[in-house]
Amino acid sequence: MGESLLEMAETAGGMGVLFGRILVRLARLRFDGAEFLRSMYKMGVKSVPIVIVTALFTGGIMVIQAAPIVKRYGAQGLLGWGAGFGTLREIGPLLTALMLSGRVGANNTAELGTMVVTEQIDALRALAIDPISFLITPRFLAFILTLFLSTLYADALALLGAAYAGKGLLDVEPSVFYNGLTSGLLNFGDVAVGLIKSVVFGIIMALASCHFGLAVKGGAPGVGRAVNATVVASAAGIFVLDYFVSFGISG
Amino acid sequence: MSATDQAHAPSDEEVSQELGLLGELGATVLDLLEGARGMYSVLVRTLYYAAYGRREPGALVHYMYEIGNKSLFFLTVVMGFIGMILVYQAGVQAKRVIPDLTLLGATYLELLIRDLAASIGALMMATRVGAGIAAEIGSMVVTEQTDALRMCAADPIDYLIKPRFFASVVMTTVLIIWSAAVAFTAGMVTAYSFFDVAPRTFCNLSLVDAGDLTVGLSKCVAYGAAIPVVSGYCGLSTFGGSEGVGWATTRAVVNSSLAVIILNFFISGAGVFLFP
Repeated sequence: MGESLLEMAETAGGMGVLFGRILVRLARLRFDGAEFLRSMYKMGVKSVPIVIVTALFTGGIMVIQAAPIVKRYGAQGLLGWGAGFGTLREIGPLLTALMLSGRVGANNTAELGTMVVTEQIDALRALAIDPISFLITPRFLAFILTLFLSTLYADALALLGAAYAGKGLLDVEPSVFYNGLTSGLLNFGDVAVGLIKSVVFGIIMALASCHFGLAVKGGAPGVGRAVNATVVASAAGIFVLDYFVSFGISG
Repeated sequence: MSATDQAHAPSDEEVSQELGLLGELGATVLDLLEGARGMYSVLVRTLYYAAYGRREPGALVHYMYEIGNKSLFFLTVVMGFIGMILVYQAGVQAKRVIPDLTLLGATYLELLIRDLAASIGALMMATRVGAGIAAEIGSMVVTEQTDALRMCAADPIDYLIKPRFFASVVMTTVLIIWSAAVAFTAGMVTAYSFFDVAPRTFCNLSLVDAGDLTVGLSKCVAYGAAIPVVSGYCGLSTFGGSEGVGWATTRAVVNSSLAVIILNFFISGAGVFLFP
């Protein structure tokens, strides 16, 4: 028990120190632009398909789950509002973050971990290239930007999926659905809350994946363990921060 | 060995570069089909060895401990927070439309049993357990331990995947029931402290029927079976050194999460038609 507490404290401390270092590089604008563009392509463009599939299915599932409740209250007109609220505030950012933590975060850890194991990071240091400004900061930025943009279009796609699931399952016309979405119960604040969440999740996930990637020890099994630790830490971090952001904003 | 083979044979990527967009699409589809075939073969062989293979209660207990007990803390934390968030958001919104919150607990419990506990819990298990399985098996493949097993005429699926499969089915079900309880308790505390809903009113089982329970439990079993099969397949198809292990783990997390979401879609859909 005490051991795991110490371990957690060590992880949190490591991530905090890493965050500080990244911020220093960002403030001085010392990071590699080409690496940033490469990471954007690898993280953003390559995860488009998985985000699309997740978002469409999620929208459908939300309506399937809401169907009995909607029927019970006869609240077909409110379906758009309910789905929109749930998607924009919670489900959209949460599920996008979870999927990307697998796709991008784990991948990033594996890459950095391999570099550590094959001593490429030490080689960079030997060449007097700062690995944090060359490798970590561009990835950090790219990760946050990817999550932000993915949440934007995942929101839209999940609502599309919800609209057509509503038509198929409850005979709610998509136009009624969109009407419920735009009739004034939802406003830009709901979208903004989701986007703020996505940025917060992006920060914690990027930090976790870079921290565990750089802390890899001991060959191939070490890389596997690091990836495992990254996804676990990202998922726990996402849910805990989600709670605090939800309360902090509306409280 | 496999790396040099790949150097000679043109890989899917090289072919697709020659063929352009259409070729790329075809290569993706071929990849998907191959993955599906591989997972199907892992599933069938696991079930075959379950019937005719060796019995190893020791390994089963060991993996149940690895998969179940070690995920308990993580799952409890996550589900506790999820329960608080869900009830808080639902309460704030429901107040705008219907001021009466007496049915909040009943509706929440129904949703929890039917979908949320199983799906969110399984997504967490997919990251925690799926990544672990793929990392373990992947590093065994890279260090040629699975080849050594094959040399001893032992199928790695019998030795490595079968015990994990059964451990995961049992422990996922148990953990999801536990996480439903945690999420419900957290929700109850939230409802009491923010909306003054008495715990007695919140604990309302009237909306939960046999259909909800069936759907929820079948989801537990389906997810528990899907996670080790998908991530075991990803682990066994590892190639290359430490980079390969990293890739395999990544793919295991992504694919088992996707499997959970897609299975959820179909089981929920079937549930709506079977138990209207």
